[in-house]
Amino acid sequence: MKRIILLAASLALASTAQAAQKLGEVQAQRSPEQVYAAVCGYCHGRNVGPVIRGRGLPAETVEYMVRHGQNAMPAFRPTEVTPAELKALAAWVQTSTADPKEHGR
Amino acid sequence: MTVNLDRRSLLGAGAASAAAVGLGTAAQAKAVLARGVKKADFAGAVAAMRKVVGDEWVFADPEAVAPWRKSYTPDPYGKHVPVGAVCPETAEQVQAIVKIANQFRQPIWPVSTGKNMGYGQTTTAAPGQMILDLKRMNRIISVDPELCTALLEPGVTYRQLKDYLVENNLPLWIDVPTVGPIASPVGNTLDRGVGYTPYGEHFMVQCGMEVVLADGEILRTGMGSTKNPSAWQAFKWGYGPYLDGLFTQSNFGIVTKMGMWLMPAPPVYKPFVIRHKKMEDVARIVEAMRPLRIANIVPNVVLMMGAAYQLAMFKRRGEVWDGAGPITDEAVAKAAEANNLGMWNTYIALYGTEGMIAESEKIVRAAFAAIDGEVLTQEEVGDNPWFHHHATLMQGGLNLDEIGLARWRGAKEGGGGGGLAWFAPVAPAKGSETKGQVELAKEILGKHGFDYTAAFAIGSRELHHIIALLYDKSDPAEEKRADDCYRELVTGFGERGWASYRTGVHAMDLVAQQFGAVNRAFNAKLKDALDPNHILAPGKSGIL
Ligand SMILES: Cc1cc2nc3c(=O)[nH]c(=O)nc-3n(C[C@H](O)[C@H](O)[C@H](O)COP(=O)(O)OP(=O)(O)OC[C@H]3O[C@@H](n4cnc5c(N)ncnc54)[C@H](O)[C@@H]3O)c2cc1C
Repeated sequence: MKRIILLAASLALASTAQAAQKLGEVQAQRSPEQVYAAVCGYCHGRNVGPVIRGRGLPAETVEYMVRHGQNAMPAFRPTEVTPAELKALAAWVQTSTADPKEHGR
Repeated sequence: MTVNLDRRSLLGAGAASAAAVGLGTAAQAKAVLARGVKKADFAGAVAAMRKVVGDEWVFADPEAVAPWRKSYTPDPYGKHVPVGAVCPETAEQVQAIVKIANQFRQPIWPVSTGKNMGYGQTTTAAPGQMILDLKRMNRIISVDPELCTALLEPGVTYRQLKDYLVENNLPLWIDVPTVGPIASPVGNTLDRGVGYTPYGEHFMVQCGMEVVLADGEILRTGMGSTKNPSAWQAFKWGYGPYLDGLFTQSNFGIVTKMGMWLMPAPPVYKPFVIRHKKMEDVARIVEAMRPLRIANIVPNVVLMMGAAYQLAMFKRRGEVWDGAGPITDEAVAKAAEANNLGMWNTYIALYGTEGMIAESEKIVRAAFAAIDGEVLTQEEVGDNPWFHHHATLMQGGLNLDEIGLARWRGAKEGGGGGGLAWFAPVAPAKGSETKGQVELAKEILGKHGFDYTAAFAIGSRELHHIIALLYDKSDPAEEKRADDCYRELVTGFGERGWASYRTGVHAMDLVAQQFGAVNRAFNAKLKDALDPNHILAPGKSGIL
């Protein structure tokens, strides 16, 4: 039983990468790492979508993909990932190094 | 599988190459204006809306609208494509937009987070609408740790709410649909969605709304309109006719705040899977489960996952089936066996103290031992991605593993897949209902060449048959077949009295027909009274 509680705790911790917002305030601009953890990283690197880090993907391709969604990928609107967040994210993905813990297919 | 990320084909050559990389046919279809709306009206509405929310939050040319056009649902004739999007940040801006919509007769379709995947995302039931995208309104207005309640704006994702609770050390759980990180409590509840903890029936745990009406007035439901609305999130019913239901699966208002109840984190959580080996076992599982659910011995919304659905989450179709036509039960059984899955995999969890759980576990084990069910805990299953996924869901955890479903079919070099339409007919929770439903589903799906990838869910006394119609949206012929197949599912099941609890924008009118003329006329009267210009989401649930 203890193991199950520990599992629950570690799941909870895993979700703290994004700084929480204050009551009554809209979400502030997030860093590329935060957007990746809160959105992209649930599929890319977890066997749902292909790995995108460490492949030198051109930033403009990343931006296009996010806004249009290819095949099974949903599109993400400027209300979800703001234009400023996307610009920083795309540059970050382009220059990112591969994370050996990620798996793609 | 690799994905074709050839930049030139994406950025250079327009529609033809967009189809080639699997953006779907509707992504290129030309959007048409709503009936009676002239180009000048549309331009007038757009200009007026820009003054309200700022130029950068109104989108009206086809390329800028692209993110709102993406959908998994079939749209072979391009009938569901939005013409624009407007993105307010406050309820006052919503009021102003509604006035403009009335003035120019420009219809607007509200979404909260717009991730209604397999039901239409941010596409619309009738053509010519602008999406009223409320994602920017994402304030967590209040959380009461004593009453275990929250009041949220529509754009708050489950992830945002969870982050808030975790960071503030509040021992409260959320309950998520399978795609929690990017979806929202408000959007999901308003479409009467479900999750898998004891708070899984979301509309049941909703409490109080703020609604912008079509005339621009703000209505508060329940206790919210009294001089002291402190019980707004505590008491659902208020006084007089209960109104909240009118704003779910409807087009009678725009919800700008919603209250909800949160489950206190239990001291102990224990998930189980119960495996059965044969397709026909599902009847016995439902019979065993119903009394446990009604008596609340099993307290969560229960999923009985068919093996093909489970396989489709993490496998590509070509890995388990290369025959002609739909995958056979034998092929599914073989792949299930190889992956440590049953033909049916029933996921339940117990919540409470060690003692409470031990007592309930005895009852559950006895009930399923009697029908040859293999009851397994985390320790017994070991490292199993399916168990891990469902154990996450049953404690309101976040993941997007199931999006893999949209890659089951059509995955090939350079892309494919991306087609998913949920067909979800409802029946009473009786084993006798399952046989006919499974047979009919397989017959209709098979006729159109699609696989039976399905699950059953028991909320309390009802059985949801959750059928994922998976197709390759990069193939226009297959998209058309999927559309035809879905229509035949609705009418074929409808003839037997099995109508859907919810549907996608592509079939809203057809599903409304299954509920009869009197009900349609009643909804039409309400619509005329509340929204005489029909500017709010015409076509939603078949209500124009
Ligand atoms: C793999 C997969 C698994 C899924 N599993 C589940 C599941 O377990 N349970 C489930 O319920 N769904 C499930 N879905 C379907 C869907 O993705 C979720 O229901 C999701 O929560 C809906 O999107 P949303 O929350 O962004 O709502 P939105 O898309 O924002 O809203 C849905 C609809 O509600 C209405 N609406 C929204 N906001 C407002 C408003 N403020 N005022 C008036 N009307 C409004 C509109 O008609 C809108 O189109 C799944 C989808 C996929 C692809």
